[in-house]
Amino acid sequence: MRGLVSQAEIVFAVLLRETRTRFGAHQLGYLWALLEPMLMIITFFVMFAFIGRQAPDEMDLIGFLSTGIVPYVLFMNSVSRVAESINGNKGLLFYPHVQPLDLVYARTLLEFSTYIGVFVLLMGANAIYLQEFNIDSALQIVFGMALASLLGATLGLVLCSLALFSNFVERARGPILRPMFWVSGIFFTANQLPEAARDKVLYNPLLHCVELVRGGFYPAYDAVLADPYYVLMYILVFATIGLPLERHVRHRIEVG
Amino acid sequence: MIELQNITKMYRTLAGPNIVIDDVSIKFPRNKSMGILGRNGAGKSTLLRIIGGAELPDKGRVIRRGRISWPIGFGGGFNGSLSGEENCRFVSRIYSQDVDRIVDETREFAEIGNYFYEPVRTYSSGMRARLAFGLSMAIDFEVYLVDEVTAVGDKLFRRKCRNAFADRQERASLIMVSHSIETLRDYCKQCAVLEHGKMTVFDTVDEASEAYDEVLAA
Repeated sequence: MRGLVSQAEIVFAVLLRETRTRFGAHQLGYLWALLEPMLMIITFFVMFAFIGRQAPDEMDLIGFLSTGIVPYVLFMNSVSRVAESINGNKGLLFYPHVQPLDLVYARTLLEFSTYIGVFVLLMGANAIYLQEFNIDSALQIVFGMALASLLGATLGLVLCSLALFSNFVERARGPILRPMFWVSGIFFTANQLPEAARDKVLYNPLLHCVELVRGGFYPAYDAVLADPYYVLMYILVFATIGLPLERHVRHRIEVG
Repeated sequence: MIELQNITKMYRTLAGPNIVIDDVSIKFPRNKSMGILGRNGAGKSTLLRIIGGAELPDKGRVIRRGRISWPIGFGGGFNGSLSGEENCRFVSRIYSQDVDRIVDETREFAEIGNYFYEPVRTYSSGMRARLAFGLSMAIDFEVYLVDEVTAVGDKLFRRKCRNAFADRQERASLIMVSHSIETLRDYCKQCAVLEHGKMTVFDTVDEASEAYDEVLAA
């Protein structure tokens, strides 16, 4: 059966269905995807104003916050959506030519395209507000976002397979990932940190993604510390663990 | 043609592994419908899910040739937050069917009125079964895997299901699991009994029924 329908067609069909279930269930629909990062941006905006902190010299405050928050939210949602892709979608496995990995691909694509859209809308609105639009390299922004997406998706894949062994994994996911909020450059840039702190924080691959997005957006900001190969290494490690693990645990999936 | 080779399936339970299917080998011949009798919890639905490929066995191999349906039951393959129509669209897409034709035919067959456009989670189990059955009939399968589903619904719907199968007897067969001998007799010639993970095949439903009665009495 699988031969008759190409995998691309199946992933696309799952993608359409995921779009409906992800956004159609809420009354706010697509607006929710925009609202989550916007609420974070507003919170930080108010906090920064309150303590009198400014954006780095090369950036405006809303843009600075958006370039950090959107990749962060993309990463976090990719992890959780992929980690829950099998448990939340067992009904789909009734159709055996829909493989668990198709769900992973569809969810990854949906999160990625959603937050690319969110990024464009936020930065577009900000550009109108600032009456100024200068972008260094759209390609580098997409690249940084893609790395954040793949980093989250491959980590989610590992967690998704592990969750079939123990539901502790699913419960521990949130608490374990929470520190990412503080070390991913949402409210600082790598360049402005003192050297000792910088060396430590740069162990976090997501910070590299954020740096790439900021460097790609602001002509004046040079993301000299961002190393895409470092992120790719993480993605590769997660994928080499996650893909065989998924195959190994597949027979544990109970559909009924 | 479907063939099971030494299929074993167990589930982990608190009391230790529970072997549901124990080294079962069987060949389902082409164009010959087969019923499978068994008590509640005997592993009938598990077996059907393994035949269909929704679950993988712990040991053994399943060989499938031809277009085989998913296990048609109380809508296990439906997404509750999507409407009946949206679920049909999705299934048509993954089976490369003409989406509009499938939607129309399913709506006509299922006869659930405007509920067709409501989320499936609002359906009764009878309505889910109608949707599942209508949808599978709209797609041209060579083997239909049926899980009790035809036992629900009113007399009229049951007759409709039987007629739909009678119409395609030439080109399609079915594997049906049930604990009801009457249902199986309507659809199948051959019949097997599943008990304690083992499967025994009988040439007629009546023979299977006798063996099944002995199992129940024991």
